[in-house]
Amino acid sequence: MSEVNLVQAVNLALARAMAEDTNVLILGEDVAAEGGVFRATDGLLKRFGADRVLDTPLAENAIAGLSVGLAAQGFRPVAEIQFTGFIYPAIDQLVNHASRLRTRTRGRLTCPMVMRSPAGGGIHAIEHHSESPEAMFAHIPGLRVVIPSSPARAYGLLLAAIRDPDPVVFLEPTRLYRAAREEVDDDGVALPLDHCFVLREGSDITFVTWGAMTKETLAAADTLAGEGISVEVIDVATLTPLDSDSILESVAKTGRCVIVHEAPLTGGFGAEIVARIAERGLISLLAPIERVTGWDTVMPLPRLEQHYLPGEARILAAARRIMAYQ
Amino acid sequence: MSTFVLPDLGEGLQEAELVAWHVAEGDHVVADQPLVSVETEKAVVEVPSPQSGRIARLCAQPGERVKVGAALVEFDEGPSADTGTVVGELAAAVTAPPARAAEAAPAGAAAVRATPAVRALAQRLGVDLKIVAASGPGGAVTSADVERAARALTDAGPAEPLAGVRRAMAVNMTRSHAEIVPATVSDEADIEAWAPGSDTTIRLVRAVVAGCTAVPELNAWYDGRNMERRLIKQIDLGLAVDTGDGLFVPVLRNVGGRDAADLRRGIEAMKRDVRARSVPLAELRGQTITLSNFGMFGGRFAALVIVPPQVAILGAGRATPRAVVADGKLVAHRLLPLSLTFDHRAVTGGEAARFLKAAIEELERPE
Amino acid sequence: MPSAEKIAELPDLAELMHEPAAATVARFEIRYSRFLDPKGNALRPLPDFAADRAELVALYRAMVLARALDAKAVALQRTGRLGTFPSALGQEAVAVGIAAAMRKDDVFLPSFREHGAQLWRGVSPVELFLFWGGDERGSDFAVAREDFPICVPVGTHAPHAVGVALALKLRREQRIAVCAFGDGATSKGDVAEALNIAGVWRLPLVFVINNNRWAISVPVTEQTAAETLAQKAIAAGIDGEQVDGNDVIAVCEAVARAAGKARRGGGPHLIEALTYRLSDHTTADDARRYRSDSEVSPHWSEDPITRLRNHLVGRGLWAKADEERLLAEISADVDKAAETYLATPPQRPETIFDFTYETLPKDLAEQRRAALDSVQE
Repeated sequence: MSEVNLVQAVNLALARAMAEDTNVLILGEDVAAEGGVFRATDGLLKRFGADRVLDTPLAENAIAGLSVGLAAQGFRPVAEIQFTGFIYPAIDQLVNHASRLRTRTRGRLTCPMVMRSPAGGGIHAIEHHSESPEAMFAHIPGLRVVIPSSPARAYGLLLAAIRDPDPVVFLEPTRLYRAAREEVDDDGVALPLDHCFVLREGSDITFVTWGAMTKETLAAADTLAGEGISVEVIDVATLTPLDSDSILESVAKTGRCVIVHEAPLTGGFGAEIVARIAERGLISLLAPIERVTGWDTVMPLPRLEQHYLPGEARILAAARRIMAYQ
Repeated sequence: MSTFVLPDLGEGLQEAELVAWHVAEGDHVVADQPLVSVETEKAVVEVPSPQSGRIARLCAQPGERVKVGAALVEFDEGPSADTGTVVGELAAAVTAPPARAAEAAPAGAAAVRATPAVRALAQRLGVDLKIVAASGPGGAVTSADVERAARALTDAGPAEPLAGVRRAMAVNMTRSHAEIVPATVSDEADIEAWAPGSDTTIRLVRAVVAGCTAVPELNAWYDGRNMERRLIKQIDLGLAVDTGDGLFVPVLRNVGGRDAADLRRGIEAMKRDVRARSVPLAELRGQTITLSNFGMFGGRFAALVIVPPQVAILGAGRATPRAVVADGKLVAHRLLPLSLTFDHRAVTGGEAARFLKAAIEELERPE
Repeated sequence: MPSAEKIAELPDLAELMHEPAAATVARFEIRYSRFLDPKGNALRPLPDFAADRAELVALYRAMVLARALDAKAVALQRTGRLGTFPSALGQEAVAVGIAAAMRKDDVFLPSFREHGAQLWRGVSPVELFLFWGGDERGSDFAVAREDFPICVPVGTHAPHAVGVALALKLRREQRIAVCAFGDGATSKGDVAEALNIAGVWRLPLVFVINNNRWAISVPVTEQTAAETLAQKAIAAGIDGEQVDGNDVIAVCEAVARAAGKARRGGGPHLIEALTYRLSDHTTADDARRYRSDSEVSPHWSEDPITRLRNHLVGRGLWAKADEERLLAEISADVDKAAETYLATPPQRPETIFDFTYETLPKDLAEQRRAALDSVQE
């Protein structure tokens, strides 16, 4: 056991996966000698060699495409896209090929690849380095979208993603990379995909969130607890395929729901969760569902960043609004 | 349409066996494109197309022997349809029916604001959301509101639907409220001078007659929809009779043309019939003005309810000794309180006041 | 006036004048080759395999089969029994030449106009009819299990080929990947990126441009300013060459040469095969909207099948009886395959769901149930 932060947990998971399966490869820009711009692949070149850790030329679309080719040949490529701001050229390969290869060949060819990338803002970065594109990926059938929110979950979920026989987009919250440390047992035990994690149990309100926003969401839950309001906090973790049951069970218990995500409001993944609750859990609702999200604007440059990111105050306001429905 | 015949293949050959077609009917071909392979004695030869065009008909089958000069292929000159795509098939549009303006949905009654969970709770507890006082944001009914209402209802006893006379009263009063514009003028009659044993009811009937005689406008029927008023000569007085089962208002016909004894007989017969529940239906209709002697039970003044198409109702409260000033001195006289409620659509305040004055003058006569 | 000693110390002006301030640092050349002229005459000594009648007959047979299947597919489409089909009429030599130069256990990544190559490599006519008839089972090849299915988004399979070739290299196998695409694809970023990575990683990958001169209605002269498409390899540090794409011997020889180089670790290669699209882009296209019949007609004289037949006949290697027998066999095979295809019922509706993931997730399983319920209604 060691106390590590999220990016170190990623590093541990990558090393573990590579040690246990020689088909696991790492590729991306600056992943080899540099060890990744955030050090996610630090030390792996030295340990596993240049045949397992490959620096690619600067071509995100090709990185995704050649991962498809490698995966079809039985390798398990883990491709790093340096920032999600650069992931968009890869969407063609994910939509048109990675997510479809199994079904269009009736299972003859499959695509067990992972594409991992740092996502989200709040790191005072220049333009295009603070993207939250998870809703775009969630709309692609045949793809899994996984977002860890802690070092332990990053370790367990990344292992699961690499071992999964289908393509996974693994979005790592940049803001959490070094934010918190916790004990992570490098025991090679994966966490389940397609499952929500209940981070905190409660009976008055259900908070649903993922990624970096779990930090503010948990803080808001603490504040409300001090006011006698019992909040259940759910970390979705795997956006698609969604574990609707866990969310619906919680809302049936509390009757109130606040969804928190950094990505913009319209068409955000929160909307999908609201739709599922409306379809299958409407009868439990005591109050309207609230979404606390980024605005429908581009993430501003760092000087205004804190006005964009949904903070504890906005989460508390939403919670108090729906607690008025007594 | 043009026909392409098997050309001279050389070597003095007159015919050839058709081996295989390379094109199909409907194909567009270009000049020099091989159409068919035919077998001569020496070789299998490809015959190219003489022109560009669409193949309308293949004139021979593989295995057939075709003579030089015989028809091989028929070309079609017409243009083929433009598919308008390079992939798949696009269904062509049919003329769209003219758009019809959507019928406006009828406006519903103001809906109760309550979330589904609250509605389900109300249903479980047997609470009608319409009667629940809402305390939630935006006027929403909350679950606490429903629970409070449920508790109140259990304390209140079971809901019983109205029937019979009570129901009729509710119906009539609702109708009255919807149509009539009531106003009430009240006063007291000094009946100190009455002889002992005076029949209050008969005196009140005479007072109504006096009022109607002075102001016939209050013995009338008013049709609010057509805005027509009908003055009625005969006074058919409705007498409000309260029984254990509810309020009856049978009619005493032509009170203006009957003497006191006759009226008394009529009133007694009416009371018997009411007690026995044998009032013919006809006798419950046709009132032109109504009298309510509610003072028998108590109370002094009241704003009463007029049942359309009537335009007035006189209410008499309890007669009690009151302090009055007579001849400059303070004395106790018996006073009978009167309330005249009138439909202000058809009756003016002046008419009502004059009616009341005439009635009081009549009541204040010793006999 | 400087002293003689001082003058002697001055740098040699002659030397100074020859110091290069600018020099040509790279040149390239693109070579073109063919063996047979359009009439089938050998223009130069043929490669060794062309001495073997069996090899040549196999090539001829494969091209005739490709064309017959192509014609049958078009006929089926015309009668509403097949979906939109991209005919490869006139391009049979490119496809057959590629496949004949490959080994069975190599990996082929086609675009969508290499039916002849797919057939050579073991994809059955029934599988081809099934795929173009709208049934995914057509891509579940019984043979050629590692070959990729056709690729619709043009050029997007070039990076796949890079991944496949990398896999083969990492495993130190003697296998290669071959990636075919058209002239239009060479304008795509995917292709440029793939060439570049293949070059810098020295992958066992042969790229073949099936240059039929048309990208739907856009002629190759409007596709690029480059004089040849082969020279796009140069920019990636790869060798590129042109061959006569209607000379199956030339195509086969070039691809075999490139394959051998790749197998020996010599890196990737690009071959531009020049041919002509004698058909419309697809059965839903009408090429007369953008090119005239009189433009197309002359290219029939370059027909690859006629060319090889004439060559065979000229060498006394092919007689009338051979031709008859072949045409009859091919015709029967194609007809039989069409019958089998037409008699194949569609898949069950639940198969829409069953291959989305390895294991169907819960919510998707519910959708599957709902879909089946609505089928029954």
